[in-house]
This record gives sequence, C-alpha cells and structure tokens, in this order.
Amino acid sequence: MTVFPHLLAGLELSTLPQQLVNGILLGAIYALIALGYTMVYGVLKLINFAHGEVFMLGAYTALFTSWSFGFTEVGNKQDSSPGILILMLIVSMTVCGVVGVLIERFAYRPMRSQPRIASLITAIGISLLLQYGGQLFLPSSPPPSISDKVNPFKGNIEIPLKPADSALLAQAEQLKAKVTSTKAAYDEQLKSEKDSFNLSPVGKELRTASQDAERDYRNAIDKANKDALVITLPQGQVIMLVTTVILMVILTWLVMRTTAGRAMRAASLDFDAASLMGINVNTVIAFTFFIGSALAGAGAMMNASFLGGTKIDTFFGMLPGVKAFVAAVLGGIGNIPGAVLGGILMGLAETMVIWAGYGNYKDAIAFIVLIVVLLVKPGGLLGSNKVEKV
Amino acid sequence: MSLLQLDQATIKFGGLIAVNSVSFELKKGDLFGLIGPNGAGKTTCFNLITGVYKPTSGKITFDGKEIGGTPANKIANLGIARTFQNIRLFKSLSVLENVVVGGFLRHKTPLLSALAYMPNVIKETESLKAEALELLKIVNLDKVADVRSADLSYGMQRRLEIARAMATQPKLLLLDEPAAGMNPQEKEELNAMVKHIRDEVGLTVLLIEHDMRFVMSLCERIVVLDAGKEIAAGPPDAIRSDPKVIAAYLGEAV
Amino acid sequence: MKFWGVRLASILGAVAFCFLLEAVAQGQSSFVQRLFVLAGLYVTLAVSLNLINGITGQFSIGHAAFYQVGAYTAGFCASRFFAQMNLPPAAWLLLMMVTSAITAGLAGLLVGLPSLRLKGDYLAIVTLGFGEIIRIFAQNQEALGGAYGLTVAPKIQYVWAAWLLAILCIAVCRNLLRSAHGLPFLAVREDEIASSAMGVNVTQTKVVAFVLGSMFAGAAGAILAHFESFVSPPMFTMDVSFTIVTMVVLGGTGSITGSVLAAILLFYLPEKMRDFTNIPLAGVAAAFVAISAAVFAIRWVMQNFHGSTKDRAIRYLGILVGAVVIWFLSKALLGNVPSLKENIDGSKLRMVVFSVTLVVLMLLRPQGMLGHHEFSWDWVRSKFGKPTVKEATA
Repeated sequence: MTVFPHLLAGLELSTLPQQLVNGILLGAIYALIALGYTMVYGVLKLINFAHGEVFMLGAYTALFTSWSFGFTEVGNKQDSSPGILILMLIVSMTVCGVVGVLIERFAYRPMRSQPRIASLITAIGISLLLQYGGQLFLPSSPPPSISDKVNPFKGNIEIPLKPADSALLAQAEQLKAKVTSTKAAYDEQLKSEKDSFNLSPVGKELRTASQDAERDYRNAIDKANKDALVITLPQGQVIMLVTTVILMVILTWLVMRTTAGRAMRAASLDFDAASLMGINVNTVIAFTFFIGSALAGAGAMMNASFLGGTKIDTFFGMLPGVKAFVAAVLGGIGNIPGAVLGGILMGLAETMVIWAGYGNYKDAIAFIVLIVVLLVKPGGLLGSNKVEKV
Repeated sequence: MSLLQLDQATIKFGGLIAVNSVSFELKKGDLFGLIGPNGAGKTTCFNLITGVYKPTSGKITFDGKEIGGTPANKIANLGIARTFQNIRLFKSLSVLENVVVGGFLRHKTPLLSALAYMPNVIKETESLKAEALELLKIVNLDKVADVRSADLSYGMQRRLEIARAMATQPKLLLLDEPAAGMNPQEKEELNAMVKHIRDEVGLTVLLIEHDMRFVMSLCERIVVLDAGKEIAAGPPDAIRSDPKVIAAYLGEAV
Repeated sequence: MKFWGVRLASILGAVAFCFLLEAVAQGQSSFVQRLFVLAGLYVTLAVSLNLINGITGQFSIGHAAFYQVGAYTAGFCASRFFAQMNLPPAAWLLLMMVTSAITAGLAGLLVGLPSLRLKGDYLAIVTLGFGEIIRIFAQNQEALGGAYGLTVAPKIQYVWAAWLLAILCIAVCRNLLRSAHGLPFLAVREDEIASSAMGVNVTQTKVVAFVLGSMFAGAAGAILAHFESFVSPPMFTMDVSFTIVTMVVLGGTGSITGSVLAAILLFYLPEKMRDFTNIPLAGVAAAFVAISAAVFAIRWVMQNFHGSTKDRAIRYLGILVGAVVIWFLSKALLGNVPSLKENIDGSKLRMVVFSVTLVVLMLLRPQGMLGHHEFSWDWVRSKFGKPTVKEATA
C-alpha cells in the first residue's frame, strides 16, 4: 500500500464496505449476462457478440411494457405493484429469449459449417445491425427511461456496521444548541430590520454568527456520520439481487437436473458425439440461446427499472455486454459457476476503480482485466487449458 | 557417428506418461523405423524430437547438440524436417508455394528488401522456386505445381509433405505414417521414393508406419514402442520374431 | 538496368497519379477534397489491416487504435514543436507521417507481442479492447486535450499525401506477396504448427505483420490529424474499426485489390446516401424484409439447385424481381404503420449499410471472402495468363 502513496491518496476506507456491496449488486447483473455468453460458448464455441444487444432489446421491452401500463413520461399513473414488475420481467425474458433463438436460427446456424471467424463476423454484423438499425425504429433520441413510479420498492435498507462515535455525537449536539440560540437572536433582529436585503451592521453580525454556527454543526454531524459505518441498500437493488439468485438457482436446476440440461452439457463436452448419441443438437442450441437470452432480458429489465432514471438507447447493451463477456472469460468461458464468479469479480473491480478515484477509467478496467486474464490464465479461473493435438 | 540420440526421453501429460524413458540412436544414413500399436507414443516421440513438446526429462541430442525443448522453428533450422500424420499442408497455397515455404529458411535477403522488391529478392525468389520445382520432380508433382494444395488427391498430398520437408534441406527426415491411406501401387512408389531420398539425396530417414510389410521391406533397423515404452529394437527379422512385439500387437493370449 | 528503369517509371507514375488527383481535387469544393483524402486514408487502413487479418490470418478488429495513436502523435508534436522547427508544410507532414508510423508501430508491437498466444475470436476481442483502452486513456489525459480533443496546427490538406501513402501501402503489401518473403506470412495463416516445423518463426512473423500494419495506420492518422486540424477521442470509436474490418471482409481477406475496391466502395456509398435526406422509414423497413427474403431464397437455390449456370442465373434474376416486388408490397403495407410514417436522413443509414453488408456477405459468400481468397487470386492469375485451379486440375 505504501508503494504508490499518490495513487491511493484520498481513499476513504470508511466507504469501502458500501462500495464492496455496490460491487456485488453490480456484479450480479454482469453475472446474469455472462451466463448467456458462457452457455452459448460452451455449446457452440461462439462468442455471441449480439448478446449485449439482446440485453438492450430487453430494456426496450421492459420500457414498452411499462408504457402499456400507463407509466409513460406524460402519464400520471402514480402507484405500481409487484405484479406489474413480475409481468414486465416475464415479458422481457420471453421477448429476449425469442430474439435470441431467431438470431441463432437465421444468422448463426447457417454459419455452423463455416470457419469460426465467419460466425464471429456474422455476430459482429448482427450486433451492429441491432445497434444502428434499432436506432431507426426505437425511440432513442432523447433516450427514454422507465418511469421511476414503476418501482414500488422505494426507500433504503440501512445496515449499521458501527455506530457513530458518541463523543463526536455529543459534540454535535452541543453545537446544535448554539445554532438554535444564534438563529433565534437573528430572527429577533430581523423583526426590527426595515429592509431584510439591506441589514444594519448588528443584523449582519447576527446573520454571520447564525450561519457560522449552522456550518459548524453540519461539519460536526458530517464528521460523526462519517465515523459511523452504515451500508445503504436501496430496496429495489435488494430485490434485484434476490431475483438474480432465484434465477441462478432455477438455471442450475435446469442444467443439472433436467433432460434438456443434460443434453446441453453433453453437447458442450462433445458436439458431434452428442448428435451421434441421438441428441437433437438444433433443439439443444435453440434451448441454450433461449435460456441465455432470457437471463439477459431479466437483467436488462431489472437494470432499467430499479436504478431510477436509467437512460435507454440502442447502445445500452454494449458496455454491459463487453463487461459481462470479460466476466465470462475471467471465470472460465463455458463454465456456469465461473460466469457467476467472474460477474461478481467484475462488479467489484469496477466499483473498486471508482472508489480509488479513477472513475474515468471504469470502462477500461474491463479490457485490462480481460487482457491480463488471457495472458496469465487463458482458461479463466475455473476453466481448463487445452493443448492442440498435433 | 550418431546423428540423433534419444537418452531416456520422457514426457508426461498430467498423470499419463506418453513416452517413458525411450532411448535409441540413429547413425548418419540410417533408414530407421518406429513402430507400435495405436497410442504407443510414436507421434509424441516425433513431437519431442521436433520441438512441439518439451521433454519432461531425458536428453535428445542431434548432431552433437542437446535439442530437448528447443523451439520447433530452431530445430528445423538445425536440420530436422518432418511430415505430419494428419496432413498439415498450407491448404490455400499452391503446391509450389508449399515447397518454397520449406526452402525459405535458407533465405539471405532481409525483409526490408522484400518490401521494396529489390533485384536480389527477385533473384532469390526465382532460385527458391527453381529449387522447389526440382524437388517436385523427385516426388513427381511438378505437373501440378500451380494447383492449390487442398485440391490434390490424398496420396499426392502425402508426397507434397515430403517434398516440403525436403525443401528445408535437412540432415534428418521424419516421416509420420507416410503410407497411410495409400493403395498398394502408391506404396510401391513411396518405397522407391524413400530409398531414393536416402541413397541419392543422402538423407537420414526416421519413419513411423503401421503397414508392417512396408516397414519391414524398407527399414534397416526398427524400434518398437508400446504404451510409451521401448519393447524391442533391431533389424526387421529379429523384430518379426520377437515374442514381446507379437504380444504387443496381438495380445498376451497368443 | 532494366529493373531500375521500370522501378523509376512506376515511382514516377505513382507520384504523377497522386498529383493528378491533387489537381483534380483543387478545382472542387472542400467537401469533395475531403472525400478524396478520406478515401485515400481508408484504402491505406483497409490494406494495412488486410496484412494483419487476411494475409497473416490474425483477426484484429481494433485497427482504429493505431490510427488514433498516429493522429495523436502528430497532433501532440504539432502543438509542441511545429513553431520551432520552421519547416515547410510538406516536409513537416512527411516528418509527422514517419514519426506517427513509428509510435503506432511501437503500439502494434505492444499489442502484438502479448496477443500472439491468443487465437481467433480471443485475439479479436483483445484487439478491440486495446482500441478502447487507448481511446479512454486519451480521453482522460489533459496533455492530449482530454474529452474535448486537440487542435492541430497547421492545417495541411494535401490530397497527394493521402494517396501517396495508400499507394505505398499497396506496393509494400504486393511486394511482400510477390516475393518468397510473403509465404511465411501466408503459411502462418494456414497452419502455425506446420509453419514452425518448416523453420518459420511464427511469433516473429505475426509481430512483423502487426507492426507493419500499425505503422501504415499510424501514418494515415498523421495525415488525418493535419487534414482535420483537430483530433478527438470520438473520431476513433469502435465504429471506425468495424468499418475497416467490413472493408477487408467485403474485399476478400488476403486480397489487396479487393481491400482497395471495397474501401472505396464502402466509403463512397454512405457518403452518397447523405444526399438522400427524406428516406421514408417504411421503405427502409421494407428493404429489410426484401433483403432477408432474397438472401434466404438465394441460399436455398445455392444449396438445393445444381443446374447449369444459365438456369441458376435465371433463378437469381427471379429472386431479384421477387425481392423488388416484396419491397413494393411491404412498403405499401408498412406505410400504414403510424410509427413508420416519418422520414429519416440518409446519413443515419451508414453503419446500417455496413452491418447488413457483413451479415449478407457471410450468409451468401463467406468462403470466397475468407482467407482462401480463391476468387481474387484466380482473377489476378487469369489476368496474367496463368491457368486457374480448375483448368489445371481438369
């Protein structure tokens, strides 16, 4: 820590726990998107470049669904209910799932017999097409956002880790008395002043005293508050995290316990052998795309509705997409628990960069992590390295 | 004088010992066979000699130099050339171009002159092409010099691999199953060709082959591997009657 | 001495061509001059990326990074040193092209060396990431103008410089492919293991390709910086990289002539579309429908019909007519959708055209455009009277 003192200057250790929690909340969304990358890669060995754009379409679907319930910018609907949120979630997931399957059917399936670079170019093409073609047909300038009113879960959950120092609090209390007294004196003086904009010298003095007392009090309170460690969790984000965990549990059950999941795992181990064993690989791939894209849809819906005022445009999915891809590589692409781990680590890495005061570089960190992972451990944290057979 | 010497060469992949303390020696001008059942470690042996893998332990000496773990391209420069079991031609290049790649390691002109296409580069390119064409005549492919190598028949592709390897002007030529997939007549021709390469061109040849009749009629000395271990070595007649070899190929029950 | 005569003549020819372009451009509006310069730069970018992507087979999609390094180098040097150096503009521009080529080459070395261990799609992502890192870095560097950008003085607007660079780039790539020195590059693309068994230093070959390709992109950046007399991070986003990749892919990876033609075509097509300011949205939507239908119909014919060329041509013609009919019908139909009633500007279609090109190309002709470059080289060969593959095997 002492090697780069200037790099870490101004770090507030007291904000670290809050940032760690923020990182995990952010990471959960990355994990949700990363699952889609990793599942598709597992089965097809294809980086689905358009996955971020599926995420973007999920956000738009959520937006349109919310509009259809009357939560438009000009609408005056006031209260939402969890039911509407669940409906938005389901619609987003379904639409994204279907879009994912369509992209696979019409763009990637014809490429399966071609070299892998052909699939990659197609994927880049589809991604650009959705970004720029979407711009023509979707509302994007000015970028709309889902109305804050859709989210009925307002307010914060506060978890105190350490109460404020009592001496500091007492000090602040003392100052508060002074605030009241100087304020009263100033108010008293005001009554006798003729022109409240042009005070007499006595009035000016009292006003300054009152303002000074107020400032001292605020400083003292701030200092006391900073000493206390409280983690603030917006309720909406807690619900996001819970939903994400539920979805991941369902996914694990799907992959580990159902026939379709077993077929998926078989196909990811050996595509040709799986098809020889009577597994309909086309169905498996469509299923994989549906599930992966639906998870992205869920992430997009929650991201757009619970983080109030998130602006949606057709490039909405680009950065989360790239970061989630890095998360998938970090965890070991093709590996489902790895994607979750990688997602959380990416979220943490990003908030740590912000915490360290390099917020401008928060989008670059993903690529730096990616390059480092690929060079140091190309298989990822939980992945395996394969040697080419000669 | 020994040209190539393997001394207790060993490589492990995880728990699997693919080549286990194999030792043999090739003299200059040898026509040497390496045989054994599938999975015996023959190709891995080739990969150790040509620098694709680094031996876990043991020594490999070529021409008086220890070469274990030297990068593949450096080994090619030292004078070992090889062909591949599953043909690895430069598919979209022409037959002639494939062979020129082999001869390119002897180039003298710097890259910068090539970027400016200076006269010395033109001359060198011409002479490399002429050399390559000569080699194509030896393997009887000179008539298809301009054909894309992927469009050749299987037997022709195998012969092209040999020509490409010879273009590096090696001291030692490693052939990995050169006769695989060839019909009897093609095998006859290959037999004559390998003999020609040894006798007329003067190369030392080490080859892996499954076709026993082919190996026995061609090679003067043979080493037999089984499950990574050397189980027999000697002239073809001795190998043919060695009980261990028969057991390895036909099972213990015989 | 015949060699030097021919060499001198071709250099003079190239220079004459460049100054002819300059003379033609001088009479035109500044907008047209801009097109001339940018077309030259895009040819350079596409051909230099082709050296990395097509010839050496290292699929890089972050070429804008080197373009940016070059442009910023020139911009930075101009703001610090131009006033003191007292050079005529042409000499300064040449000096900057060399300097930018060197810094971009170093950047290429920086990316090339670690990326060599990666293959295919991983390499692609890393090059893309490197481009973004460079851009974000420049965005946060006060010395480089930050997010606002850097004003570059003097403004030097020579059409000839851009095209001289393009011709140099084409010549270098062509020379490489004509001499035996080009073969190791192609060999690395085809099979790395076999290449190294033939004594090719695979690492060195890839690095050389990366550095050479980056150097040309860097020099192009220097011209851009002085032409616009301004550089800023948004000029080098992923879009630019993807545009160059589209050019290379459309031209046929590995084919220099293809890259040149595709660069010019893909550069001018969107510029031309700017002239159309009132494109009905319903028409664009209908075009999507018609193109999709045509692509899948053509694919169906390609896979299921093996008749004579003439019969095939008739079917393709039929599909074309059908697509036009579908376009008219769906345009009329979609015209009733209220949200499709507005008109849009042609300039908005730029990246849409590129993305559609990529996807349609991959669906209809991936093999011809991918590495094997049968089409273009056979074409070149037939021009020189050598037998094509089919004739030789027949």
